[in-house]
Amino acid sequence: MVDGRQDALLAQMRRGTLQYCVLALLASEERYGFDLVRGLADVDGMVTSEGTIYPLLSRLRRDGLVESTWQESPSGPPRRYYRATAAGRRALEEFRLEWSRFRDAVDAFVGGKDER
Amino acid sequence: MKRTGDPLVDDYLKQLDRALSDLPKTRRRELMAEIAGHIEEARSGLDPENDAEVRNILERLGDPAEIAAEERARSGAHTRRGGLLEILALIGLLVGGFLFVVGWFVGVVLLWVSDAWSTREKLVGTLLVPGGLLPAFLFGTGAVGGYSETCGGEVDPVTGADINVVCTGGPSLAARILWIAVFIVCVVGPFFTTAFLARRMRRPATSYQPSPGSA
Repeated sequence: MVDGRQDALLAQMRRGTLQYCVLALLASEERYGFDLVRGLADVDGMVTSEGTIYPLLSRLRRDGLVESTWQESPSGPPRRYYRATAAGRRALEEFRLEWSRFRDAVDAFVGGKDER
Repeated sequence: MKRTGDPLVDDYLKQLDRALSDLPKTRRRELMAEIAGHIEEARSGLDPENDAEVRNILERLGDPAEIAAEERARSGAHTRRGGLLEILALIGLLVGGFLFVVGWFVGVVLLWVSDAWSTREKLVGTLLVPGGLLPAFLFGTGAVGGYSETCGGEVDPVTGADINVVCTGGPSLAARILWIAVFIVCVVGPFFTTAFLARRMRRPATSYQPSPGSA
């Protein structure tokens, strides 16, 4: 049964984990805003409104987890490139451990098909 | 705001700008620039572009109100509201005038430096009433703006009371009413402004909760 409460719960889970997905995308390479946003939005079920990622990026920047530089674009206006800082990569690593424990724990209960 | 040459995009950006109106100016400008850049980037990938595709770009970006809510929620811990600077600004504006008038100017500077208020709110803070309570004080003590009246008459030799008093030089009724109105504004205005700014300043960065799921 999918009711409003369940929708809200899923939205909160998405919201809480989104920053780590952003950090993961920015850990190994730098990306400019539009590219990053589309990369997240193209995976089904992760982002419903692309515009809401920009406030998150700004928050991560102020927290020192990502940094940005402006670079000329081959076509059009300059692009703001983002990249994870050392602190950002550490935060991602910590989350990765916690997340896999959490995921395994939940999977242990709800992971398989309901066989009853 | 920069126009993009597409009424759909212009309209979207206008809505977003409005939705962000209560945010600090620097954040608002930065976010507007990023969203505008996103749209520009997405449009440059269209060939040829038509309204349906532009609409699709805007739909994917999402409701401006939702973006604004996200910005408020994400910036919550960083939005400095009600700090020492803001409190000093309010005190300076209200009673700073009594400190050789300089205090009020200090209040104005702090008001404009702070990012806890919008430009409109800052204008109210500056113009209602310049000098804070000082003008009311000066009016009240008759130092400025008062009127003088000369009365002549005779003193009753028996009772010692004034008789046949004739006053001249007093203001007309309209002038008296105007004087009282200005005086009331000068007294009430600064208190109103202080309350108004204090309330606006403390407006919490509404935390974005999709729904108060109690489950």
